Amino acid sequence: MSGQAPEVPRPAVRPQTDASPAGDLPLAVIGQPGVPFVEIETLRAREFIPAAKEALSSLLKEQAQGKLIRPVFNWAGRNSLFPLHWGLACCAIEFAAAFGARWDAERFGVVPRSSPRQCDLLIVNGTVTWKVAHKLIALYEQMPEPKWAIAMGNCATGGGPFRTAYSVVPGVDKLIPVDVYIAGCPPRPENMLDGILRLEQLIKERGE
Amino acid sequence: MDAKQLSDGLATRFPGKILGVDPLDGTLGRIRFDPAVATDLFRSLRDDYQFTHLTLVGATDWIDHREVFYVLWSDTDRLYLVLSANLPTDAPVIASSVPIWPSANAHEREAWDLVGVKFEGHPDLRRIFMPEGYAYHPLLRSFKIHEPEDLEVKVRSD
Ligand code: SF4
Repeated sequence: MSGQAPEVPRPAVRPQTDASPAGDLPLAVIGQPGVPFVEIETLRAREFIPAAKEALSSLLKEQAQGKLIRPVFNWAGRNSLFPLHWGLACCAIEFAAAFGARWDAERFGVVPRSSPRQCDLLIVNGTVTWKVAHKLIALYEQMPEPKWAIAMGNCATGGGPFRTAYSVVPGVDKLIPVDVYIAGCPPRPENMLDGILRLEQLIKERGE
Repeated sequence: MDAKQLSDGLATRFPGKILGVDPLDGTLGRIRFDPAVATDLFRSLRDDYQFTHLTLVGATDWIDHREVFYVLWSDTDRLYLVLSANLPTDAPVIASSVPIWPSANAHEREAWDLVGVKFEGHPDLRRIFMPEGYAYHPLLRSFKIHEPEDLEVKVRSD
């Protein structure tokens, strides 16, 4: 009999690599003209900071020569979409859930902000009435370019169950340009995340 | 105070202008009155009969006429009283009750917005649920449910 707890096998510590992490990183090619931009999704967290440093310094060098690199801004923009924190109706509950712990939209770089001047994405999450329509337009116009809009839910897409009501805008595309429509009443947070990822795809394809 | 006392008292004050008193569950009754005496009747009910609180003002479109109704509450007698007046469809106008009961303000704006009853003497008779520039009074029976594309709405831009 002994008072000692049995030895618990521990997972082996992952060995540190001696090789310089920035050595053959795809990000190193960003600054070279004519070379297509390469995704950095293969980076591990430990490798990211030196790679980002290098990318940034080469970017600054390019900028000093007057050559701005559009793909970098495209990549940075589409991976850090900041939607406006604006809840309109029941869909706003699902919108909020998507940013909670379970679905965690922040892992895609999507962070809701409270001021339209800090946002580049307007997610219209609910029923838009004629009374609030001019405020929606004002918010959209206050957002800096480039900006995108998602119509979330049936109400924002086409009026939803209130389509024939006297007070409801039958689809926010009557008021602002919309890039992605998400169906559902309400759409589940997964749908919303899918919509955001599709918008990222769209931004990449358009090269905005 | 019972309904008989009240209606007799009002009938002597406003001869010929009190058109009837109907029983109504949970209230003292429903008094139908001629809209010409609206302001005097309201003042008399507030000052002489202690109906100090106006709970709501509403309106209904009955196609051949429009009805305005008021629900009053008396703190002294702990009683509700309902007033109602019929207005002609072509001139749905009645004196505002805001100078007597300020709580009528938003209710009268709502009745104007949705049923199109004009309250004369209201300090600020604007639309309340629909935007300014909306061309309809949507709870009128003559308002048909449109295909939304037919609706003409001007959205102001700030
Ligand atoms: S689509 Fe459905 S859940 Fe979303 S705002 Fe409209 S009614 Fe509510």
